[in-house]
Amino acid sequence: MNLTYNEAYQKLSKLVDQIEDDKIQLDTLADKVKQAKELIDYCETKLRFIDNDVTAALSEKKPKKKIK
Amino acid sequence: MPKPIKLSELINEIDDVIQDRFAGETFWITAEVTDVKKQPDKRWCFLKFIEKEGNLITAEIKGVFWSNAYDSVVRFEKLSGQLFASGLEITCQVRVRFHKRFGIDLEVLEIDHSYALGKLETERQQTLDRLVNENPAFIRLVDGYYFTSNKSLELPIVLQRIAIVTAPDSDGQRDFKQEIANNPYGYTFSVSEFLTQIQGDNSSTLIIQKLKQIEVEKEKFDVVAIVRGGGSQTDFKPFDDYDLSKYVASFPLPIVTGIGHDRNTSIVDLMARQYKTPTKVASTIVEHNFNFETEITELKDRLLETTERMLDKAKDNLLQLKRTVKAYSPSTILNKGYAIITSNNQIIIDPKDIKLKSEIKTILKNEVIHSTVTKKSKHELDL
Repeated sequence: MNLTYNEAYQKLSKLVDQIEDDKIQLDTLADKVKQAKELIDYCETKLRFIDNDVTAALSEKKPKKKIK
Repeated sequence: MPKPIKLSELINEIDDVIQDRFAGETFWITAEVTDVKKQPDKRWCFLKFIEKEGNLITAEIKGVFWSNAYDSVVRFEKLSGQLFASGLEITCQVRVRFHKRFGIDLEVLEIDHSYALGKLETERQQTLDRLVNENPAFIRLVDGYYFTSNKSLELPIVLQRIAIVTAPDSDGQRDFKQEIANNPYGYTFSVSEFLTQIQGDNSSTLIIQKLKQIEVEKEKFDVVAIVRGGGSQTDFKPFDDYDLSKYVASFPLPIVTGIGHDRNTSIVDLMARQYKTPTKVASTIVEHNFNFETEITELKDRLLETTERMLDKAKDNLLQLKRTVKAYSPSTILNKGYAIITSNNQIIIDPKDIKLKSEIKTILKNEVIHSTVTKKSKHELDL
């Protein structure tokens, strides 16, 4: 993901609006929630890490499987 | 030729004449000062008084502040927010002195501060008027407020890449960086420093040069901060400079100022976003980002609330369906004492389909009763 804050914010608020719309189907909900969560993570991490660090920081968040 | 006299004899005579005419007398004069040399440690200040016609100097004399009058210089700088420096026009009280070796000069006893400040204010107002009159494309004055194209630039939603223009090893630089680094939210910033002298002669040109460097790589920055801290020597004159003010007003990146002067607002402050002190500039930037994060958090809350509500609703619907299905299921009905009648393995809904003497099955809770129809009649049950 390489978005400006503005792009991320626009996307996120659009997703939340869609999710709040009662007509949304349950099977598309999961996908939209996932996308929204990714955008939230992206913004919150980007505020605390500079540019290139963001991708690294985001991937570190998911625990990696240890190879024995 | 008369017999020559010694130099000292002539000088003594000059001294006598001057003493006769000027001893014990003081004068108020208005003049421009130049060649100002301050020696703060000794509390002396040497200068020249001049008067000009156009660019031509038509009168000139040395002047001096001794330590008893040096406070007047310090006070001028405090009141005006400017260095006591060449180019100022002042009104002051002087005494004429003659020294047998160093010649004639004027000893300054006190400065008329109201005159000096008034003069500076007039100059400042002239600069402001000129900015408005000569740059209608990007500076407008409406109801006492200066609208500039720089001030109307929208601030990016997050300010993270900051270019600061400040003096090296200055309080302003330190205060700003400290406040940014110690922000309570753990935000990261990239601060690029453009260091230059920011007070004294020529500073406004040096600041313009730094801004030009920033403009060249303007995509790399969200905001420009011009900061300077307090300090014993304060000189805000560079920030009242016409060229610098004009450049700031039309600069393509948002500029925030923390030039730090309680009493006075510089012209550069009026052309950009003014946050007074370096610390305030930094904390405002941090809060700006916090506001963004708050909006994100609100969206996050809305998201969680909505998904929870939707899943609850779906669960409720499912439960309702389950109940309905159960209520209508044959086993529920049979348990209540109702029966199902079939004939030729067809469920009978209409009794007309049952012929006399035909075989029917009556399905009850656990058993099936086989019977032959012997009689049919209307019932009088109130169902």
